[in-house]
Amino acid sequence: MMEQHHGSLAASHIRVEGLTVSYENPKAGGTFIAVSNANLDIARGTFVTIVGPSGCGKSSLLLAIAGLVPPAGGSVLVNGKPVSGPGRDRAVVFQDFALMPWRTVLDNVRFGLELQRWSGEDLTVRARRFVELVGLKGFEHYHPHQLSGGMRQRVGIARALAVDPEILLLDEPFGSLDAQTRDEMGSELLTIWEQNKKTAVFVTHGIDEAIFLADRIVVMAKNPGRITEIITVDLPRPRTIETMDSKLFIEYRRRIRECLMREARNERAAIVPQN
Amino acid sequence: MKGIAGWKSAPVLLGAVSFAAILLVWESAVRLGWANPFFISQPSAIAASLSRSARSGELWHNLAVSLREFAIGYGLSVAVGIPAGAVAGRFRTVEYALDPFLWFLYSAPLIAFYPIFVLWFGLGVPTVIVIAFLLSVTQIAASTLSGFQNVNPGLLRAARSFGATERDLLWKVVLPASVPMVIAGLRLGVGRALMGVVVGELFGATAGLGYSIAYYGALLKTTDMIASLLVVVVLGVLCTQGLSALEARFDSWRTGPDS
Amino acid sequence: MSAPPLSLKINTMVRSIFSSNYRVLVSTVTVMAFLTIWEIAPRAGMADATYTSQPSRVIAAGLEIVRTGGFVRDVYASLSEFTIGFALAIGIGVPLGLLLGRFLVLRYLLDPPIMAIYATPHLALLPIIVVWLGIGMQSKIAVAFVGGIIPILVNTMAGVRGVERSWVVAARSFCAGEWDVFVKVILPASLVSVVMGIRLGLSRAVLGVVVAEMYQSQAGIGNEIMRYGSEFRSDYLLFDVLLVSLFGFAATSAVRALEEKLWTAGK
Repeated sequence: MMEQHHGSLAASHIRVEGLTVSYENPKAGGTFIAVSNANLDIARGTFVTIVGPSGCGKSSLLLAIAGLVPPAGGSVLVNGKPVSGPGRDRAVVFQDFALMPWRTVLDNVRFGLELQRWSGEDLTVRARRFVELVGLKGFEHYHPHQLSGGMRQRVGIARALAVDPEILLLDEPFGSLDAQTRDEMGSELLTIWEQNKKTAVFVTHGIDEAIFLADRIVVMAKNPGRITEIITVDLPRPRTIETMDSKLFIEYRRRIRECLMREARNERAAIVPQN
Repeated sequence: MKGIAGWKSAPVLLGAVSFAAILLVWESAVRLGWANPFFISQPSAIAASLSRSARSGELWHNLAVSLREFAIGYGLSVAVGIPAGAVAGRFRTVEYALDPFLWFLYSAPLIAFYPIFVLWFGLGVPTVIVIAFLLSVTQIAASTLSGFQNVNPGLLRAARSFGATERDLLWKVVLPASVPMVIAGLRLGVGRALMGVVVGELFGATAGLGYSIAYYGALLKTTDMIASLLVVVVLGVLCTQGLSALEARFDSWRTGPDS
Repeated sequence: MSAPPLSLKINTMVRSIFSSNYRVLVSTVTVMAFLTIWEIAPRAGMADATYTSQPSRVIAAGLEIVRTGGFVRDVYASLSEFTIGFALAIGIGVPLGLLLGRFLVLRYLLDPPIMAIYATPHLALLPIIVVWLGIGMQSKIAVAFVGGIIPILVNTMAGVRGVERSWVVAARSFCAGEWDVFVKVILPASLVSVVMGIRLGLSRAVLGVVVAEMYQSQAGIGNEIMRYGSEFRSDYLLFDVLLVSLFGFAATSAVRALEEKLWTAGK
């Protein structure tokens, strides 16, 4: 059962309308459709997670919102205006961290500020504030290769927050980390998020992570990549470890798992001919 | 092994032992009559030859000539090679245009052009410099090109997400990211430039290390030949090791799949 | 809407047709332009053909060279020197490299001298090789050997070292003996590096033979080149030089093709 919030245009921060994203594959000589006809409304200040199996187009959807990938069809609107490229209102945190190896932690956090030509406040002072915010005080002059995976991603988050975007986009940011670090980072991310309640879109393939962080969950399936269900999460904030043991949490988990398994079954059935 | 004075010094130690062992075996083999000193000489004789030519100034003169040719030829190849490689890395068209010429310069026996170079540039030093330059510039350009083209696309995408312009991408991402490969090219270019100098001098020079090797070769004076050769080897090793150290310093700048 | 728009399909098609051919196109155009300028400049009086030669002259010279009997003799000489020397380099370099790669201690002991030789311009050894082996074929074979063996050695060693530890461990867990591990896991896995080493050594060996012949010899392409050079017959010289380059290119390309086959097979 699909739940969609038909808020007025004015309320939605991000609006995805009939979005199709495709990639050319020169070797296979064809076009691969990553996302097909996606529709989504995201209200300001909400934390939305996108969950689904590999290849369902969740990253592509995020990148389209980020403006790093052009739509082949449909559109993405932010504050009512179509997205035609990256912008100051959106910042991305990447799964592979994408830190400049020759820059120190401090300089990496400054990176976005430099590119966006911030003036007024001293960039270093501002960057330092965000380094502290993500808990890396004292590591300002370390280089990425000297840091653990979790620490590197904190730098990535600091870099994104430093440019004060309206929208925070996170592409499986904890995917390269071990399970324990992942859980820690998730809690910390929420703590940081609570402080300024930016609109956040978080891509993951972990069901629990998706439920734990979100106000709304977008479930996707593949072949073709599309949105199958949008679930509103009524768990109270702030979320804690105990939240994950609650009946409601378990119920959400069951729903999402069922949805994903249904899609997987349908997919297999489509491959195997029925006679 | 691991405990003694740190793991890093073990290879150096073994290396020194290895060299000492080789010298020992060498000297003994000749003294004991197992090997003919005409062909391979002996460390003691070589040392004597070196000190002789050092005292007479011959060694320094040859070294100076060769070093000067090397410095100019190599310096020019760096000054031309890096920008050429950079431009080719940035503009596919330039790369495709330069490709056939680079290939030719790399695979042709450039020494063969020696008589023509003499015609164009003059006998001796100028020609040697040209040969060293040509041998080295292809390597440096190729490595620079590779460095520019093999930047981790994840980094470029991240920069773009923050609104980087083409200029930003070039100066803030591509240039720093390509440094390790450029230095690798510089290291490889040293070997080739040195070879150009020595071989160039073999064919037609009036001074220099290569010249002295050929000179003594014609006189069948193996000891003096090997002495000069040794200087070349030491030079090559010093330069290469120096640049290897530089390369290692920038190793953390490499943009691998997980930066 | 599940099918991509037609415009996107056409765009993709056009782009893929052109991309691989674009490279060929640009390269061909620049070479053609170069050849044209080279041909016309002397005719237009902008350059002296005795200094710079011309494509037409080179071709004419080439035709004449090929017709003379001495040419075939020289090619044969050079080719055999290269083949023997390089075959020796492979025959000794590969097993030695495998051995050194496998046994750590040996490697540390022999690494410094090997690295020293690697850092040395191999052609600098030319005069001493001539003193040792004379001006006949042996010295040229030796130069080809020396030139070729170092990259082969270094790359084979690196290839053995680079074999995934996990594969070796997996094989051992199936109770494979040391010899089996070597033949069934290490050898195939390091093959790509070995072939790459062969490719790198190839051009050094070719260069070695030609330069050695130029330095001191009685026959061979290098000898021809030196002769033409001293007579300032640049057209003939250029033809021979191009021939050598083309040979090097053909041989290296063949090996690279093999390398790529192994690379994809390895996956």
